[in-house]
Amino acid sequence: MAAYKASPNHPIHPTQQRLYSTPSLSDRLQEFDRILSQDVVDLKALRRLCFTGAPEEGGRRALCWKLLLNYLPLDTNQWDETLRKKRAQYQHFVEEMVVEPARLSKNGSGNNHVDDHPLNPNPDSQWGSFFKDNEVLAQIDKDVRRLCPDIMFFQRGTNYPCRLIVDDQDVERLSHRVTHSSLTASSVTRKGLGITKMESVSRRSTTTEDYHPLSPGSEAHWEVVERILFIYAKLNPGQSYVQGMNEIIGPIYYTFASDPNEAFREMAEADCFWCFISLMGEIRDFFIRTLDESESGIGAMMNRLMANLRQHDHQLWDRLRVQELKPQFFSFRWLTLLLSQEFDLPDVIRVWDSLFADTDRFSYLIQVCTAMMVTQRDVMMENDFAGNMKILQHYPPGDIQVLLSKATELVESNGEAGIGTEASS
Amino acid sequence: MLVLVLGDLHIPHRVSSLPAKFKKLLVPGRIQHILCTGNLCTKESYDYLKTLASDVHVVRGDFDETNYPEQKVVTVGQFRIGLCHGHQVVPWGDPAALSLIARQLDADILISGHTHRFEAFEAESRFFINPGSATGAYSALDQDITPSFVLMDIQSSTVVTYVYQLVGDEVKVERIEYKKTN
Repeated sequence: MAAYKASPNHPIHPTQQRLYSTPSLSDRLQEFDRILSQDVVDLKALRRLCFTGAPEEGGRRALCWKLLLNYLPLDTNQWDETLRKKRAQYQHFVEEMVVEPARLSKNGSGNNHVDDHPLNPNPDSQWGSFFKDNEVLAQIDKDVRRLCPDIMFFQRGTNYPCRLIVDDQDVERLSHRVTHSSLTASSVTRKGLGITKMESVSRRSTTTEDYHPLSPGSEAHWEVVERILFIYAKLNPGQSYVQGMNEIIGPIYYTFASDPNEAFREMAEADCFWCFISLMGEIRDFFIRTLDESESGIGAMMNRLMANLRQHDHQLWDRLRVQELKPQFFSFRWLTLLLSQEFDLPDVIRVWDSLFADTDRFSYLIQVCTAMMVTQRDVMMENDFAGNMKILQHYPPGDIQVLLSKATELVESNGEAGIGTEASS
Repeated sequence: MLVLVLGDLHIPHRVSSLPAKFKKLLVPGRIQHILCTGNLCTKESYDYLKTLASDVHVVRGDFDETNYPEQKVVTVGQFRIGLCHGHQVVPWGDPAALSLIARQLDADILISGHTHRFEAFEAESRFFINPGSATGAYSALDQDITPSFVLMDIQSSTVVTYVYQLVGDEVKVERIEYKKTN
């Protein structure tokens, strides 16, 4: 995946020209390096740069995301200290919430009367909470096993598995806790004094599936993501895990775990966890049903989107209204999942560069969504309800850069200071 | 891995159902595997076990209508577990006779029933378990039976056995640990 830069074949639109004002990739890289090597990172300048796409080279994108998501402080001298602290804390969470419960049955030893046992119906029981966790885990497990199926990444083994878990046979893996397996069994038959016959009942092996847990000593990427989501759910019992969070964490984890900078790649799990928490802090309300109609909920976002469309393209807005094509039908997914389902992963990551660079998250998201509709307006004005639904739910592939330019154009026509302009003017 | 071990239900011939206290404990979603020593007697009892766990292994008791296999060998982690109802083993429940079966099956753990009495012992570096009768049905030799079943938590080389007994009106739980020696 190459970093985005101006393609010479593209007709340069006035707005695009401004977007592509930095002519070559090496210049851009230098500009990033200049900002990232300051004692205190100039957030405004960083935002302006990232808004037009962060380069993957040398792990700059992953580093920028960590800054933009407030995981790393702007003071570069504090980075080491912050990373050390946060990573140690995550390690502690893993031990407490994943490793310890797996050793549950080892508590107490010898033969004696017990207070706690696996069938304990008491809600305070350790075993009880173990099984309660399994309910959440079962949902997470189902979802992470179908993370980005179009790329061969999450099925593969990570080079940096959690040693505490993969090396200790007594620690049961999270995915094992909720996988329904059958024991290997054989029936024994003997006729009189004749020979003893063992007939084994063969069963379908689970290792033939794509998303199977890897052998002891290694661990697939989806298992790592499962652990992060599980710990998140444990730390946020009120919200727990909601379907869709897997789609939010996917691009972040992918970016961090394929970071060219090895020192960071090694710690992708912990870093991803904290960045995910930080991002969820901003979009949490989208995932809480009772807040759907509140000011920060998804309902309000959809209203904002439609109001924005109305302002920019009244005809199209009117057409959707006449067709009774409600924003819930398509934009619910666009907004809650930050467009992660609408494009291919490289494009999603590019869109997120801009979203994260947005000072007022997520007003730029609204503009991108509007741009998605406006760029398809010619077709949509002709189509019937079904045709339009199809376009909006399976957005036709196209150049993501054109879409983003359109979105920026919309920002400017709103009279708001765009992210790209604010620093340069 | 949690494995529920029970048997000698004799429903409906000798008892109408499992004790209510046991039924309350046995909820779906906690156990994945069941090893049954037989004498379920009817298909309905088998169907009930199926509601608790999807993976159910049964051997044939002397009162079973369904034709289950006589003996079974199940592998869990490092353990080979032999399963046999026990009416074929004479004298009934005799350690030496059970030991013979365990050697024949090359089992690390031998599970048998039929005597309706809970039993757990180690012999010749093998582990023998009899879960007793889960309903407390009378046996050929005895009227006064304590209902009991067993839950095994099997790890790579240790088995923690939880014994559930209904004494009076109260469920008593005991814990027995067995480590594979070789």
